[in-house]
Amino acid sequence: MKLVPIPKDKYEEYRLTLMFDCYKWDPQFLDNNTVAKYALVLTQQEHEELKILTEKLDRETQDAEMFLNQHLELTKPLALPRKMKKEVRLMQNYNPEKHIRLMRYDFHPTVDERWAVSEVNSDVPGGFAEGSLMPQAAIDVLDETGDRKYLYKNFGDNLVAAIQKKVPSGGRIMLVHCTSYSDDRQVMQFLGDRLEGLGFQIIYAAADHLRFKDKKAISILDGNEGEVDAILRFSPLEWVSDMKPKHWEGYFDTTTCSCNHPIAIFAQTKRFPFVWDVLEENGISMTTWRELLPETLNVKDAKGKEGYIYKPVYGRVGEMISIREACQADEYKQIMMEVKMCSKNYLAQKKFISKALEGENGEYFHVCVGSYTVDGNHAGYYARISQTPRIDSNAADIPVLIERGGA
Amino acid sequence: MTNKECYKIWAPSGKKWTDWVRPVPFIVAQADVKGYHAGELLIPTIGFVDESWKNAAVIVDLPGDEGIEMGLAFAKLGYRPVPIYNGTVEQKNARATVDNQTVGAALLWGAEILKKMEIDAEALPVFLLDKNRLNRFKLDVSVFDNSWDVYPQDLPSADYFLKNGINKIVVISDSLSKDLKAIFKKYKKKDICICLRHAH
Repeated sequence: MKLVPIPKDKYEEYRLTLMFDCYKWDPQFLDNNTVAKYALVLTQQEHEELKILTEKLDRETQDAEMFLNQHLELTKPLALPRKMKKEVRLMQNYNPEKHIRLMRYDFHPTVDERWAVSEVNSDVPGGFAEGSLMPQAAIDVLDETGDRKYLYKNFGDNLVAAIQKKVPSGGRIMLVHCTSYSDDRQVMQFLGDRLEGLGFQIIYAAADHLRFKDKKAISILDGNEGEVDAILRFSPLEWVSDMKPKHWEGYFDTTTCSCNHPIAIFAQTKRFPFVWDVLEENGISMTTWRELLPETLNVKDAKGKEGYIYKPVYGRVGEMISIREACQADEYKQIMMEVKMCSKNYLAQKKFISKALEGENGEYFHVCVGSYTVDGNHAGYYARISQTPRIDSNAADIPVLIERGGA
Repeated sequence: MTNKECYKIWAPSGKKWTDWVRPVPFIVAQADVKGYHAGELLIPTIGFVDESWKNAAVIVDLPGDEGIEMGLAFAKLGYRPVPIYNGTVEQKNARATVDNQTVGAALLWGAEILKKMEIDAEALPVFLLDKNRLNRFKLDVSVFDNSWDVYPQDLPSADYFLKNGINKIVVISDSLSKDLKAIFKKYKKKDICICLRHAH
């Protein structure tokens, strides 16, 4: 795995291309440029290894959620949000054949030459356009001679293929997201434009624009009323539960094709490892997870132990993770205070030492390679790099390429 | 003029402050705004800027395209206008809480004027916002809510302002919006002075 610089004289145009042709609408975050000046190049071997590990993790995750859904009495250690406890009981009719299961596993190279997984984005993984269009934009500036040195896995192609398989041709698809956030809309717009090009009818709407009748989803959005054939949700389940739109329980037992179905909640909570023992007692293998996820403990069980970091149970994009050297100003102190005051909202995880990759000017970057699955199959990558070991909103998006024939 | 060309006029490469220009209204302008007529926009004359503004960044927080008119007025005084509009367009056929398309049309109009101006590399920034972004009222649940907030990550940090000699922010508006107030808390901690100035 290596960083290959985008040629300096082409970088500005590359960044503009990403903004205007590749749905990268958030190229700046505070004082940071979020478009990396590099491409991340994997060898074929690394790609194969990641693909195998990702699919193994996915099999274990899906087996686990199917089992947990039928044995809710065993889910107490997950401490699912109280606001959705009643609704979770409605998922008994969940049939994976009817829905599309999309997940992204975040891999990090470590100094002991292995991979660590920091989490699975089980509910609403993002980075769709970055995992689909960004690699080609990078190849266009890196491979001007046309020697076809690099290839990539187009995530969008794989997601769209799964949708085409399960949603009737020309069907109505509601893209459920937080309509006030352009960062969410860019993800939805990428997918919406692709699907519209294939003849689907697309409705951009919010979580409260759906009602359910006879377990079928119905749009109530002004001027767009009527039954929908699929729900592609980008509003996190726990946010929707906070909003609690009327009739939202319909999301849990709908037979309308959903991506993702709320079944995703079992693995979305970072307390997922706390049910592994019981899963294994019931014949569900969690071997790959145990191999890759650092030891995870309740906050109280980590008291007095060295080498642990704290992270929120429902944290996103690296927020509020207590990696001291990555925290700015008094942020570390604030996180630790929060951990002390609301320990149930946090957990402790054994810290792994991320292996940084060297850039062209001697600077070092930590890497997080998000590896997608769609319905159990590896579907592509979305990666970010950062000069600190915490990959958060300040990190830069980087295209993932695979070196043809590289060992 | 294409949307990308328009963006490049408002956010010329390598110039100070232009990294914060948000591409969203420019992208939308290509798809949806062309049917809108910006009408006769007028650039006001500003008579209130004096010596006390020399270390100040400006945030224009006025409704719709008024922010662009005011931004261009500041550009005439040598400021760098930095549009940070970030609202999305509603679903087709749906009523929406905010008209986020007017600013797109006005940016296209403004680009024709801005491209004729020479703005100094060290110019002070004037950030442009649409006060209507906070229109959250929904007649009923079926309305598309495309109201939006500005967040700390949409603006430079207090440290960045200070490093660039800015220790004051003047907001041009009739009141301080709630989202800006939240951002200013961090600025105030670093002793950046916040002032409010009415547009007229």
